[in-house]
Parts: sequence; structure tokens; C-alpha cells
Amino acid sequence: MTGMRGLSVFISDIRNCQNKEAERLRVDKELGNIRTCFKNEKVLTPYKKKKYVWKMLYIHMLGYDVDFGHMEAVSLISAPKYPEKQVGYIVTSCLLNENHDFLKLAINTVRNDIIGRNETFQCLALTLVGNIGGRDFAESLAPDVQKLLISSSCRPLVRKKAALCLLRLFRKNPDAINVDGWADRMTQLLDERDLGVLTSSTSLLVALVSNNHEAYSSCLPKCVKILERLARNQDVPQEYTYYGIPSPWLQVKAMRALQYFPTIEDPSTRKSLFEVLQRILMGTDVVKNVNKNNASHAVLFEALSLVIHLDAEKEMMSQCVALLGKFISVREPNIRYLGLENMTRMLMVTDVQDVIKKHQSQIITSLKDPDISIRRRALDLLYGMCDVSNAKDIVEELLQYLSTAEFSMREELSLKAAILAEKFAPDLSWYVDVILQLIDKAGDFVSDDIWFRVVQFVTNNEDLQPYAASKAREYLDKIAIHETMVKVSAYILGEYGHLLARQPGCSASELFSILHEKLPTVSTPTIPILLSTYAKLLMHTQPRDPELEKKVWAVFKKYESCIDVEIQQRAVEYFELSKKGAAFMDVLAEMPKFPERQSSLIKKAEVVEDTADQSAIKLRAQQQPSNALVLADPQPVSGAPPPLKIPSEPQSVARTISQPNGTSSNIDPQAPSPDLLSDLLGPLAIEAPPGVVSTEQHGPTGTEGVPDEVDGSAIVPVGEQTNNVEVIGNIAERFHALCLKDSGVLYEDPYIQIGIKAEWRGHHGRLVLFLGNKSTNPLTSVQALILPPAHLKLELSPVPDTIPPRAQVQSPLEVMNIRPSRDVAVLDFSYKLGTIVVGAKLRIPAVLNKFLQPLQLTSEEFFPQWRALSGPPLKLQEVVRGVRPLALPEMANLFNSFRVTICPGLDPNPNNLVASTTFYSETTGAMLCLARIETDPADRTQLRMTVGSGDPTLTFELKEFIKEQLIAIPMGSRALVPAAAAPPPPVAQPPSPAALADDPGAMLAGLL
Amino acid sequence: MPVAASAIYFLNLRGDVLINRTYRDDVGGNMVDAFRTHIMQTKELGNCPVRQIGGCSFVYMRISNVYIVIVASSNANVACGFKFVVEAVALFKSYFGGAFDEDAIRNNFVLIYELLDEIMDFGYPQNLSPEILKLYITQEGVRSPFSSKPKDKPIPNATLQVTGAVGWRREGLSYKKNEVFLDIVESVNLLMSSKGNVLRCDVTGKVLMKCFLSGMPDLKLGLNDKIGLEKESEMKSRPAKSGKTIELDDVTFHQCVNLTRFNSEKTVSFVPPDGEFELMKYRITEGVNLPFRVLPTINELGRTRMEVNVKVKSVFGAKMFALGVVVKIPVPKQTAKTNFQVTTGRAKYNPSIDCLVWKIRKFPGQTESTLSAEIELISTMGEKKSWTRPPIQMEFQVPMFTASGLRVWFLKVWEKSGYNTVEWVRYITKAGSYEIRC
Repeated sequence: MTGMRGLSVFISDIRNCQNKEAERLRVDKELGNIRTCFKNEKVLTPYKKKKYVWKMLYIHMLGYDVDFGHMEAVSLISAPKYPEKQVGYIVTSCLLNENHDFLKLAINTVRNDIIGRNETFQCLALTLVGNIGGRDFAESLAPDVQKLLISSSCRPLVRKKAALCLLRLFRKNPDAINVDGWADRMTQLLDERDLGVLTSSTSLLVALVSNNHEAYSSCLPKCVKILERLARNQDVPQEYTYYGIPSPWLQVKAMRALQYFPTIEDPSTRKSLFEVLQRILMGTDVVKNVNKNNASHAVLFEALSLVIHLDAEKEMMSQCVALLGKFISVREPNIRYLGLENMTRMLMVTDVQDVIKKHQSQIITSLKDPDISIRRRALDLLYGMCDVSNAKDIVEELLQYLSTAEFSMREELSLKAAILAEKFAPDLSWYVDVILQLIDKAGDFVSDDIWFRVVQFVTNNEDLQPYAASKAREYLDKIAIHETMVKVSAYILGEYGHLLARQPGCSASELFSILHEKLPTVSTPTIPILLSTYAKLLMHTQPRDPELEKKVWAVFKKYESCIDVEIQQRAVEYFELSKKGAAFMDVLAEMPKFPERQSSLIKKAEVVEDTADQSAIKLRAQQQPSNALVLADPQPVSGAPPPLKIPSEPQSVARTISQPNGTSSNIDPQAPSPDLLSDLLGPLAIEAPPGVVSTEQHGPTGTEGVPDEVDGSAIVPVGEQTNNVEVIGNIAERFHALCLKDSGVLYEDPYIQIGIKAEWRGHHGRLVLFLGNKSTNPLTSVQALILPPAHLKLELSPVPDTIPPRAQVQSPLEVMNIRPSRDVAVLDFSYKLGTIVVGAKLRIPAVLNKFLQPLQLTSEEFFPQWRALSGPPLKLQEVVRGVRPLALPEMANLFNSFRVTICPGLDPNPNNLVASTTFYSETTGAMLCLARIETDPADRTQLRMTVGSGDPTLTFELKEFIKEQLIAIPMGSRALVPAAAAPPPPVAQPPSPAALADDPGAMLAGLL
Repeated sequence: MPVAASAIYFLNLRGDVLINRTYRDDVGGNMVDAFRTHIMQTKELGNCPVRQIGGCSFVYMRISNVYIVIVASSNANVACGFKFVVEAVALFKSYFGGAFDEDAIRNNFVLIYELLDEIMDFGYPQNLSPEILKLYITQEGVRSPFSSKPKDKPIPNATLQVTGAVGWRREGLSYKKNEVFLDIVESVNLLMSSKGNVLRCDVTGKVLMKCFLSGMPDLKLGLNDKIGLEKESEMKSRPAKSGKTIELDDVTFHQCVNLTRFNSEKTVSFVPPDGEFELMKYRITEGVNLPFRVLPTINELGRTRMEVNVKVKSVFGAKMFALGVVVKIPVPKQTAKTNFQVTTGRAKYNPSIDCLVWKIRKFPGQTESTLSAEIELISTMGEKKSWTRPPIQMEFQVPMFTASGLRVWFLKVWEKSGYNTVEWVRYITKAGSYEIRC
């Protein structure tokens, strides 16, 4: 750049400008100058061109629009000398983006530079390609870049750039780059000695693996080897050692890549990886130097996520937790924050919770940290780690902390305490205690939902009522109590005050006077509650107490003319009612139990703002969208055995099987059941209801995916035990309903509910299975296998082995349709609850019509297509008999419901239907399908059907499918008819407003 | 009396405070920061002269390279504020001897503080007349040491003059030669369509005077405006003189003009202040004589070539001539190369304002002159937006010509001593915003 005087003069002119206006004038002048020069091609020497293009770049960097001269910049790329080439490359990559047409002109030159021998030019070209990275570049240059990357004659510098360039191209357009067979090359690349090339290649590997991990499984041992090499500090040059840590970047990348592989099967690789991880865990400590800390902790936390991902042995997990425990006791706040955050992440792994509990006191100390972000993390972690065993401690700790906590945190804190108390209450009276304390301590921050909830519990649990009433009475003795407390105690005492009548100071008149003392202090919304309480007290006083009556009536009289309509109405009505005697008793009888419903608290907790991306609340929310009804469940809360009793022998047998298998207890449902055990289990099988599960057993028997890991002698009682549970609803009906809609329940029994939600686009589909544990015990050994038919490509993400109590897990399922077929995929699903093994084979509703796309044709479009399809095998005709009689509009609705659009008015005969749709699959692409149904108005049970499409198989399959639908109607009629008539009602229907209105409890809740 | 300002700030173009004076305590000291961040650093700077930010009003104007900002928190009189700023700048100019800019402010800090103390009190404007202020704020602006030293004069009694009947003129002046200079300066604003239709046209004119007269003279000015002539013909009971009469709109006079006499007799009579002053201002919308006609033809030949042909005709009297004629012909932003042919003057392309600038030093009346240019454009990557074709702008000065046709009928000087006076009258017409669409 030296010697370009014009450029430096221009730059110093710009710098000397006093203000923006002067700068703009100078820039405009220079732009005019450049334009003139570019137009005078005769005098435009390469030097001038270079100088002006530099100026253009400078102006562009100043933020002005430069919308000309790109041609000149691009043309400089082909200059023979370095200075010109350099500016050409730099300016092109700054001024142009991938959509510019000018880049097409440059492709050839860039390619020549890449395949040329000059390595500086190669580097320039690779940088440009990497920076712009458009589709054109990817398509035409990727092979050359790939060649450079693996060539042995290039210097590491070039190969490094080639790897990064390829990475960018791949990220931008994964489909434009041919990476078939790259697994071997990547494997070779990972053997590279030069750490620079290795780091770049690992970055590339991470991108490749994230796209498709199966193809690169051969790279897995190599990554482990790299980690070993770095961990042992073998052959690591000085310049790649950062504060004594051998290339932390490479370590992190290698571990990141490893996390994309689902698991490591090879025991020796696994072992050596664990050794490395062990070494990282052991070797990391907190030191003085900040940079060293940053590097080593980056490595450590990546190692931790890898450990979590790999489901390491408990020993290693506890080691991690111990290390984190050390972190959270360090003085440096950043480290403490990281420690707490990662501990929250560790909560995902079930069996370390006990180990984390050891640090409970330290975490509680962090609640008092001066840094609010640390306090939040600590609160989050406490919330996440809470379970039945430590709930009492944690909730008490939170209550204590509440009185000193910052105002901004109090609401969240009280909400969390309330949720935990509700979820993990060892007994109900404790729960009531906690909530009352909460209201007492932080009344302003206790939302209405919290006290609504406690009222619901007390109402629903009879044994709790006297206790709650006496507690409420106690709180009323305090001098200054929060208004919310007045509301709760008024409500509870009104309902259950009479239960205390024997106790001293709890007679109706005494209760009235103590409550009435509070009346002047409360706000308008509380007065109606108090009025109701007075009425209730009056009702419960038997025999009538004239004195109390007089007092209460005086109050009612006073409020009869209140300006607030609600209060006025209550006062008038209660007054009149109280004179009615028996009717009064009826109307004010005890509140009925509330219907069980989802706690609104959890929903609220999700809304509470939280900055950390991996917060425990979100984890919880993912796991359990609906719960907190624990207490209202018919089952006891904690640790109660499931209702099914099973003979002890199979229990032990099942245990012996699952234990030697370690964590992955693959149980083959097809294994022959040995005689002995089947005899033992016989009675159970008979007891089981003849659910549809057993019929489903006759599905496809291909269990290719399940390797027979169990020895020949293994005893697998699964087949029999499967039917021990009662299936809720008809599986076949559910399946048929799901064939016509995209979300609903696929399967349900007392312990689990499997919901499904699907999206279809062209020949791709994405289903999400929602596995919800309805019981209070974890479901273990959860397995879900897909047995795909030949025409579908299905990929189910791994289902976690365990579903925690009342949690829901999601498991996405990718579907790709290869060719038309009516076969269905089957989900082989099993789980263990305690000792019961339940299994089911469920048809996945990825049926032919899901790959149809509704299409409405006009007559001009329809008839040419129809005529073009000339007879079999493209156009098939059949007379169908035994069809369920349907009126024409109903039939049209039916067709529309499976996405075959009826085109009204196309056929001249009003008794005929003409329909069209588009079918998507990988082999056929988008294929137009046409159909015509000719009905006979005299005999609705028969019709003639003509189906045509561009593919013989598709025509046949579609015809058969429609026939099935028309004949199969009786079977799924209940699901089909409403579906045809109106949008199908969702299976998990929320209680409709009408239902609410009928329910007095719900009405009360609404009133409250 | 309305409040005009709570504080006044003088800022340079970067937003640094050069000088400030707070007159009331109801605005915080950091208000100017709000002005800087919310107004100066946004694009709204040029749009709106009054802005409200957080309960404070900012009234500002730019004069050369200085922003003068008035901050007011109460319900201030904005017009009063602006007038105050204009008058204050005129005052500063008369003290500094000409220029008012950043450097002038930096060089006269003390003087400006002294003046700011004097011209406003608790937010109320005070006497801004330079003649009077110069009597008792005698500190001179910095002048070059080579200029002649001002003579020592006895300090006149300022109070007498300020409180007297003729507050703008000192008693006892005497000149050897009694002279009166009268200039009529008009600026023509025009917007013409490409077909030659006048869309908007008006003339703003002012009558400037410079008096070097002894004693307390009484002056009387007669113009060929409608009211004055009608009155005159009425009084002398004879028909109005033939010839054009001019209708003046929005006439405003200097405070020295006796308005009661103007209302009753329709004559402009006054006792002039000493030295230079602006006697009256007026506006004319009807019957304007345009000094120049411009006939542009612009052809866009394809995407990279343009032809421009501009013919300028002078339509004033053949004996007169215009000076400093500049025609600015806008061209597209991507202009790369230009080729000119002009009959008179010089033309060149100025890329920083995207115009062809054609300068003619002297343009005689009743002549015409043409410019033809070929323009080559460079091709761009941007959107193919059609060029918006801004109007052609023109600057000129025509001495001894008034676009309104206004003439001085008589200027009579009457003084007790009855000395002879020499009266000089000049006319000049300038271009205001003289625009022709093309």
C-alpha cells in the first residue's frame, strides 16, 4: 500500500474534516473523481485502478453508499501482481454479497487461483470464498477446496484456510456440497499432526456431524485420540499451548463433536475417553490467573456437558458434582455463577441428585450472595433440586430468606416456594402451614393464585379442614395481618369454623367479632368475602343465636346501600336468605369439592423472567407441562406403591435381567417366553383386560433394530406382563382419528399418556411424541422403537431411559415418504413402572393421506389432465359395493377430510364427485392425482370409482386407500363422522365454559 | 411581557458549548446534553426549530457555524425568543465588526458575557439596540493592532437617551457633510414549472438607510406605492399620475417611523437613528418583473448518457446588466464525465452538490446565453430508480433594477438649521430561491 499518495492525502483530508457535513462534501467530491476516472478507461492504469478501489473501500467503510465500480474491483482479482490482486479480493469480499451477479464473473479467476500453485493467491482466494460463501461458489468451487484440504503437498496454512472455507460453504448450503464418502477423509484429516489444521478440521467435523452423525462414526475414536494426545500433552508445540493448557480450543471442539454422537459403543474407546475426562476433571482447579481460568474452565464445562451427554458412571458424575461444589464455594463470583449454572444442568441426570444434595447448605449460602445473578441461579438450582426428601428444608430455607430477600426477587421466590410446597409436601398440614407463613411474611408478593390454591386443597381434603381452620384462627390473633391473610382466614373460617366450635375462643360469635375487627382495614374486593363468611357463620350457628343474628344483620343492612354492586348484592341477598331458614341452610351449605385442575402457578412460574438459558424452571417446564395436582390425586403422595400388586418372583427375575444389562436394558419383546415363568405369570395374563394391545401384537414382526443382547437363557416376561394395565380408550379408534387430524392422543393407560403432534410438508413429516408420566413414580427402562415399512424412512430421536414422575418428555420423529404405499409404521413401546413391564405396539398415523396436499382445480385445468391419463395402469376404475350409505355432501366432507379436495361443479352429473389432490414422495416428487366417484342415487351402497395419477403404484394405492376409507367407515365411525362434519374435537379437551357453569365448585373458583 | 428564555447556549457544530448563560433556575445545567443527544445527533436537526424534550422546549437556530439554543421550561413566547436571537446576533456583529462565528465567539468571551448580562434579565429581553449599548458597554472587540485607534470621546449620558422621547438618536450630532444613503434591496423568489408557468412568485424587499445628518432632522419618504399615491392625489385633489402603482403587503417599519402620521397622512416620516438601519420591509406578490427566463431541455439517452441544454434570457432593460449570475443545473449522482459548450461564462461539474455550475460574471440585459452539455453516467449496482430531476437554481444580482417596480418618489430632509443634504438612492435586485423545474 506504500506509495499511494492520493489515498493517504484523501484519508488525511477526511480526518481533518471538522464535521460530518464537510466530510460528506469531501467524499462526494472524491466519488465524482473516481467516477470520472473509471469512465476514462484509456488513462486508467492498474496503479490508478488499485488506488481508486482502495478509496472506494475506505468510503464504503465510512458508511457511504458506493454503488458503482464493482466491475473494476472484480477485474482486479485477475491482475497478475499481488498488490492488485489483494485489493481486488478484499474489496470484492467487502462490497459484494453472494447474490450479486458480478461474482459469477469472478468464479473462474478464483478457481484458477485456488488450483494454482501460488499459496498466497490460494489463501486470498480461500478467504474470499469463505467470506462470501454463496451457492454459486459452493457448487463450482467446493470440490477444489476439498482437494486442497486433503492434498499432502500444501502447507498447513493453506489447508487450515481450506477447512474453514469448506466449513462456511457447508454451513450456508449443506446440500450444495457433496460430502458423500467424506467420512474416510475426515478420519484421515483427524490424524493430522499440525494442530492448526486439526483445529480447523475439527470445526468442520462439528458441522458435518451435527448434520449426520451416523456417517462419521469412524471419526469418533479419532476425536478421542486427539483428546488423549492433548490430555497427555504429547506432541503439542509451544505456540499451541495457552497458559500451560494444550490447545484448549481444539479440546473444546473435539468434545463438542463427540456430543453429537448418541453414544460410544466401543468399550475401549469409551474407557480411554473417560480416562481423559477424568484427567480434565481432576486437573482443573481455580487459579489466580484469569486467562488460565477462562481457558481451563471452558474445557472443563465442555467436558461436563460431555459427561452429562454420555451418562457416565455415577462415580464420575459425583466427581463432577464435587468439583462444582468446589466451584460454588470459591470467592470469585464468575466461577461461582458457572458452578451453580452447571449444577442446574447436572440435574438433568437423575442419579446425581443425591450428590448435589450434599452441597445444599453451600447453595443456600449462595442465596445470600451480594450478586443478584448468583442469587437467582442459586434459587433456580434449589428449585430444581428439590424433591420429597429435602422439600421441607428447602422450603423452610426459602421462607426464611423471603424476609430478607430483595423486593425484585420476592414474587418469584414466593411463587417458587408455593410450588415446591405444593408438589413435595410430605403431609398436607405442612403445606397449609407453609402457605400461611408465606402469606404472613410476604403478603404483598403472594399472588391470588397461591391462596386460591390453598383454599382448593383444604376444600378437597376433609381431614385437613379442622387443622386449617384452627391455623387460620391463630393467625387472626396477630395484630397486623396482611389482607390476603384476611381473605384466606375469612374463607376458611366461614367454611370450617364450625368444626372448631368446641375450642375456646372459637364460637361463632367470637369468630365474627374477631373477623369484623378486620373489616375496616380491608379493601373493597375483600369485603364480599367477609360478608359471605358472616352469612356462613350465621348458618352454622345452631340453634340460632339472636344476638349474633342482630349484629350480622346490622352489617348487612349497612352494606345494602354500598356503592359497590358486588357488595350490595351480597348484602341484600344474604340478608333476605338469612330469614328463610331451611332454604338458607341449603344455599349456604358447604362448598362442594373442586374439580381437579392444573395449577396455574406452574404456568406463572414459566412466565417469570429468567435470563439463563438453561434454567431449572425451563427444564421442569419441559419435563412436566401439567401437574401440581399431586395432593388432590386419589393416590397418596409420597413413596406409595403402585396399585397393582405383582407376585414377588417375577419382580426379582425382572431385576436380575435388567441389572446385568446396565443402563440400556433392551428387552426383546419377541424373545420366546420360557415355560416356567409363563406358568407363574399365567394368572396375571388372564386377569388382564383383553385390551387392544394384544391385537396389536400381530403387527409387522420385523424387529431388525433390536439386537438380541440378552443371552439365550435370558428370561423375558415382557410379553405377558404387557397387558397388565388397562388401556384407556380404544387404540384403533384413536389411530383412525389421528389419520384425519394432526394432533391427539395415541395411547393412554393409567401410568402413561402418549400424545402425538405432527406437521407435514411435502414428502417430509415431523411428528413429536409426547410421553407423559401420569404416575408419581418414575417410569424406567422406557423404550420406543420404530418398525418402519419399506416405503417410509423414519428417524426417532432417542427416548430417555427414565421418565421422572409427572413429567413429560418429547421425542421428535422425522418421517420421509419414499414411495406410495398403504403400509403403516409401528411404534414398539415399552416401559417399566416399579416392577411391572408394560408394552404396546402402536400404529403410527403416518398414512398415505398425510402426504397429500389439497388442491382445487378448475375445469380448464382438470379435463386436459384427466384425458391425458389414458386407462390402466395410470387410470384405474372399480365398482365398489357394500359402501356405507352416505349423502353426497357427507361424502364430499369425508374426502376433504383426508385431503382429497372435491372440485364442485366440474362434473355435469350432480350425483358424481370429482376430486383432485397432490401426492408427495421422494420417488414421485409432487404428483397430481385425480379421482371421480359416480354414485347411484337409487342405491347408495355402491358406487363406481375412477382414480388416476402419473404413477401406476400411486394410482393403485390411492384407489385402495379411498376404497378402504369408504368401506371402513363403520369401524371408525365415531371418530370419522364428526371429523367430516366439523373440525374434529381435540381429544384432550379443556373443560368447556358450559361445563364450568354446571359445576358449582368451578363457579366458586370463577367468583374468587 | 412574555418570558423568552430560561437559558441560552451557544454550541459549535459538534455540540460543544462555547458560551452559555442561565437566566432562570428552572432548567438543569445538563439540558444541553439532551439537546445534543436528542436533536443534534439525529436527522431531525434541520427539520423543526422548536422541540420539546422532557418538559423543556428547545428553540434553536443555526447562524454560520454556531447553534444558538434557547431553553425554556415555562410557556415561553417562541417568536419573541427567535427575535431576541436575531437581534442579539445583529448586536454581536456590530460589536465584532462583521462576522459572527465560532472564532468570533471564542475571541470575545468577556464582551459576550457582558452583553448577555445586559440584553436579558430573568428571561425577559431588554434593550438590544447597538447604538445605546455601545454607549456604556465600551469594551472593544479584539481588532487587529494595525487598525486605527478609536478616538477618546467623552462618555455621554446613556440614561438620558434611553429614557428620552427619541430613544434611538443622540442629541448634538454634527457632520461636516450631511448625507443620506437609501438602498432598496429586493430578493425574488420564484418557482417555475418546466413549461414556463409560474407556480409561485414573490419579492421580499427592504429599504436600508445610512444617515450622516447633524442635529435632529425630520425625514419624509415618498414611494410609488398605491396607498401613498392615492393619498397624495386625494390631498392635492388631482388625478393620480399615470404609470404603475405598486401594492405593498406586510409592510413593517423601523421604530423611528411615526406611525400615527402614517395612519393619518399615509406618509413615511421619521427622525432617523444615526448610522445604518433598516427603515422598512415589505413583500409583493402581484406584478413581479422577472429578471431572467430559463428554458431547459434535458434528455436522458439510455442509462449512461444525458444531454442538457439550458438557455437563459435576461428580460430587464438593455442598459442594465446582472452581476454574479450562477446557474446550478442538477445532474444524477452517478455522473462520471461532462462535456460543455457555453456561449458566455464558465461551467464545471461539482460532484459534492451534484450540479453543473455555470457562472457568468456580467450578463447584459435583453440578451441570451446558452449552455449545452453532454453527460456520461457510470453504471451502478443499485436499484434502477429513475432520477428525480430537482429544479435548476439561479443566483444573480441586478443593480438599478427592482423586480417590484418600486421607485423612490421623493426623500425630503427637514432640519431646524436648514442645512443642505445630499441624498443617494440605489436599487438592487437579488435572487432568493429562484428555481425552475426541468
